[in-house]
Amino acid sequence: MDITWGASASHEIAWGGMIAVYLFLAGIAAGAFLTAALTDLFGKNRPAKLIRAGAYIPPIAIVVGLLLLVFDLGRPLSFWKLIFNVNFSSVMSLGTFIISIFTAVALVYAYLIWAWPVAQARGIQITVAGVEAAAAREVPASGLQALRKPVAVVGSLLAFGTATYTGFLLSAVSTNTFWSVPFLGISGVPFLPFLFLVSAISTGLAATLIGAIDCSDLTLYKKVDIVLLAIEILLLIILYTSVSSAFFQGGLANLFWIGVVVIGLLLPLILAIYGVSKHKNLVVPVCGMVVVGGLALRYFVVYAGQMVR
Amino acid sequence: MAKHYAMAVVVAKCIGCQACTVACKFQNNVPEGQYRTKTPVVGPKGTFPNVSMYFEKQACQMCQNAPCVEVCPTKASHYNEAGVVLVDVDKCVGCKYCLTACPYDARFINKDTGAADKCTFCWEARVSKGQVPACVSTCVGGALVFGDEKDSNSEIAKLLSKNKGEVRKEEFGTRPSIYYIFEGVK
Repeated sequence: MDITWGASASHEIAWGGMIAVYLFLAGIAAGAFLTAALTDLFGKNRPAKLIRAGAYIPPIAIVVGLLLLVFDLGRPLSFWKLIFNVNFSSVMSLGTFIISIFTAVALVYAYLIWAWPVAQARGIQITVAGVEAAAAREVPASGLQALRKPVAVVGSLLAFGTATYTGFLLSAVSTNTFWSVPFLGISGVPFLPFLFLVSAISTGLAATLIGAIDCSDLTLYKKVDIVLLAIEILLLIILYTSVSSAFFQGGLANLFWIGVVVIGLLLPLILAIYGVSKHKNLVVPVCGMVVVGGLALRYFVVYAGQMVR
Repeated sequence: MAKHYAMAVVVAKCIGCQACTVACKFQNNVPEGQYRTKTPVVGPKGTFPNVSMYFEKQACQMCQNAPCVEVCPTKASHYNEAGVVLVDVDKCVGCKYCLTACPYDARFINKDTGAADKCTFCWEARVSKGQVPACVSTCVGGALVFGDEKDSNSEIAKLLSKNKGEVRKEEFGTRPSIYYIFEGVK
C-alpha cells in the first residue's frame, strides 16, 4: 500500500541466487570429495575413474562457489578481512576457515590423484583393458603419494565440516524461524545441517557418478544413492511438518514440489530403483536430476527463509 | 553506572510528517533511495465508523542482545562503549549476514560504501557530544524522547515509569532500546 509517503518498502532479499548456488557448489564439492576419499581409503576394488572424478570436481566447484561468494559481497575487494578479523560467535567467521582449509586440501588431493596413475604405471604393462586393473592393484606408496591417504582423511573431515557448515550458516540465524527450525523439535539441534549434509553427499556422489560414467561396476554407489534419496525424503517430510505451511506457498510452491520433490527426489528414486533392479545404466538421467534437485533445494531454502518473515 | 541510551516513540503524538526521515538523511548523508529511519503508516484498519491508523517509526532497535553483532564475521557490527550498536565501515566486507539476522529490517547495504548501514543514534555527530539524535531534535509533534534510561531523572525514564513501553518482536529476545508507547492508539 502506498497511500502515504514513507510506507514500508517491500522486504528486501539480502541473500539471493549467488548464495544459493554457492551453498549448492560447496555441497557438491564436499560430497564429491567424500565419495572419492572414502573410496580411496576403504574401497576394495577401487574404481580409479570414480576416484579421479570425485577428486577433480571439488576444487573446481568450491573455487567457483567462493568466487560467487566474493562477488556477492558489498565490498568484494575487502574479502581478505574475513581472515584477519575473527568472531568466534559467528558461524560465518568459523566457516571461512573450514572452507579455506578444505579448498587447499581439495587442491592438494586433486594434484595427488592426478599424479597417482603415473606412479602406478611404473613397471606395469598397460593395455586398454589393463588400466582399470592396474589402478586397483596396490603399489607401495612412495614420495608424495605417501601423503595421499592422510590427505584423504583430513580432507574428509573438512568436507564433512563444509557440508554441515552450509546448514549451520543459515540455522544460526536464530531470528529466522525457517532457517533455525529445530530437528524434530529438539531445541538446540538445528535441522538444516542434517538436510544439507545428506543433500551434499547425494549431489556430490551424483556429480561424481556422471564424471565416472563408463566405469565398470557402480552398483554399490547406485545403492548408496537410493538410500540417500530415501533419507532426504524423510528429512523433507520432517521439515514440512515442523514449519508453517506459509513457506510452501506462492511462487516457492512450484520450486519446492516440482524442483525439489519431483525432479530432485521422486523421479530419480524411482528410476534408480528400476535401473538397479533391471541392471540398466541410468546414471546420467538419475544423477542429473539429483544435481538439479540439490540446486532447487538450496534456492528454496535460501529464499523461503527470507520471503516469509 | 554505565549509561543506557534509549528512545521512546509516543505513537499517539506522531502525525506522520516524515521530518525525522528527512532530518536523518541530512544529518547522515544517506544515499538516495535508502533510509536509516522512516515512519510508515499502519492501517487504516477497521470498518467505518471504527477506523484507525497511526504511524510507526522504524529504524535500528538498538538491541542489547543484537543478532547482527552475534553473526557478524569480522566484528564490524559491535557495541560501543555506551552500548550503542554501530558498524565499523572499515571492517565490514558487506556479506549481508547481519541483514538476514536483523528481525526489524533495519539494515541495508550502503550504495556508496558497500558496507552495512543503519541508524547510529547519531552517535558520532551528536549523542557523543551530549546532543540528541537528529530525528528527536526535529520531531514536530514531540513524539520522540531520547535519553539515558538508567538515569531516573531523565525525561525518558520518567516517561517509561508512567507509560507502558512495548518493544518490537520481543519473542526473539533481542532486548531492544526503542520503546513504543501505544497509549491512545491501539
